[in-house]
Amino acid sequence: MKSSTLLAGSALACALALSGCGGSDGDLFVGGTFVGVTKTGLVLQNNGGADLVIEPTNNGSGSFAFPQLVETDSGYNVTVKSIPSNASECKPFNNTGKVAFNITTVQIVCTIRQHELKGSITGLTGTLELVNGSDKVTVAPGATSFAMTKINEDAPYAVGILTQPANQTCTVANGSGTMGSNDVTNITVTCGPRTQ
Amino acid sequence: MKLSLIRSAGMMAMALSLASCGGGGDDTYTVAGTVEGLVYPNLVLTTNGVDITVAPPAKAGDPVTFTSPKKLEYGDTYNVTVKTPPPHQSCGVDPRFQLSAADTAGRLAAINARFVCVVNSYTLGGKVTGLTKDNTGLVLANGSNTGTTVIIPSTTDTTGAAFDYQMAGSVQYNQTYSVAVITQPTGRFCTVENPTGTMGDANVTNININCVPR
Repeated sequence: MKSSTLLAGSALACALALSGCGGSDGDLFVGGTFVGVTKTGLVLQNNGGADLVIEPTNNGSGSFAFPQLVETDSGYNVTVKSIPSNASECKPFNNTGKVAFNITTVQIVCTIRQHELKGSITGLTGTLELVNGSDKVTVAPGATSFAMTKINEDAPYAVGILTQPANQTCTVANGSGTMGSNDVTNITVTCGPRTQ
Repeated sequence: MKLSLIRSAGMMAMALSLASCGGGGDDTYTVAGTVEGLVYPNLVLTTNGVDITVAPPAKAGDPVTFTSPKKLEYGDTYNVTVKTPPPHQSCGVDPRFQLSAADTAGRLAAINARFVCVVNSYTLGGKVTGLTKDNTGLVLANGSNTGTTVIIPSTTDTTGAAFDYQMAGSVQYNQTYSVAVITQPTGRFCTVENPTGTMGDANVTNININCVPR
């Protein structure tokens, strides 16, 4: 109520001054940036208006702007209508306010679901080092299971042996693939006497 | 505040007396600065003919400060440069403060030359053998770090001749890597030679991919 009175007031001032006040034509945009969007499904709205479908990017981040331009002094309230299929949530930040200039500060932060990457070990008598890219896990002698750091849904994985245990050779089965919507638990490491 | 007032008063005094103030003696300035991102020891900076060795911070990630032992007089110029980077890192003037490392002593209340260091990164790659133009669809990955790399054979090759490939993204010094086949190509089964390791100070070029008919 109050804001519409204000608006009317400023519109009147514009009319009286016969000068370009910009606001009334609606020439300002509302937008911002997003992170964590690697799959389709993120839909945003401003003030409950038309859907803005956000296209995913390779690294998950990018920028957006609502095509509907708005007037100076109008309020904006960007909300998340739906989230990407691999995200657990998408939170908006700096998403409400009044438009005084082009808004580029709305942030949408999507959190991609993560899943466990683990498996079993047989015959290990020494210390083994497993790696998945930059993630290194040291496995103690006698261990019968291991777990790497959790990874994002849809991310590739490549579990390999960085350091063989003393006097043993281990091999990895089912070590590579792409993380689906469930934990990966079928990686097997089999160790025996060194073969060389 | 107080300092700069004194300094301008000093300048005024010089101007009024019209005397050569060259000596000064007590009007000294210290070239100091900050280095961010330093991880390894033995960074050597140099300015005004004096070397300054900067050690990494006690707590990883903290910025470190340095101070040149040589005092400058009002009007002396300084230009702090990297004489020797630390091992495994590259250092330079912080691009956000490009003008901070060179100026004239006395123009600023305090000199703070801003430097930043990053750990060097190198690529992963090798040779692919056994893929003809029909064996498309090979996808590799280095763990879950840098997404996937699609290997596209020559569109004219019919013999499976070896060609070089490079993984997408790069790996920092001392980080581990593990390359594996995520998707096998049409009609071939590929294995990875030297799939794991710890990044050194050069590109890795021995991760060869050998593909044979299924």
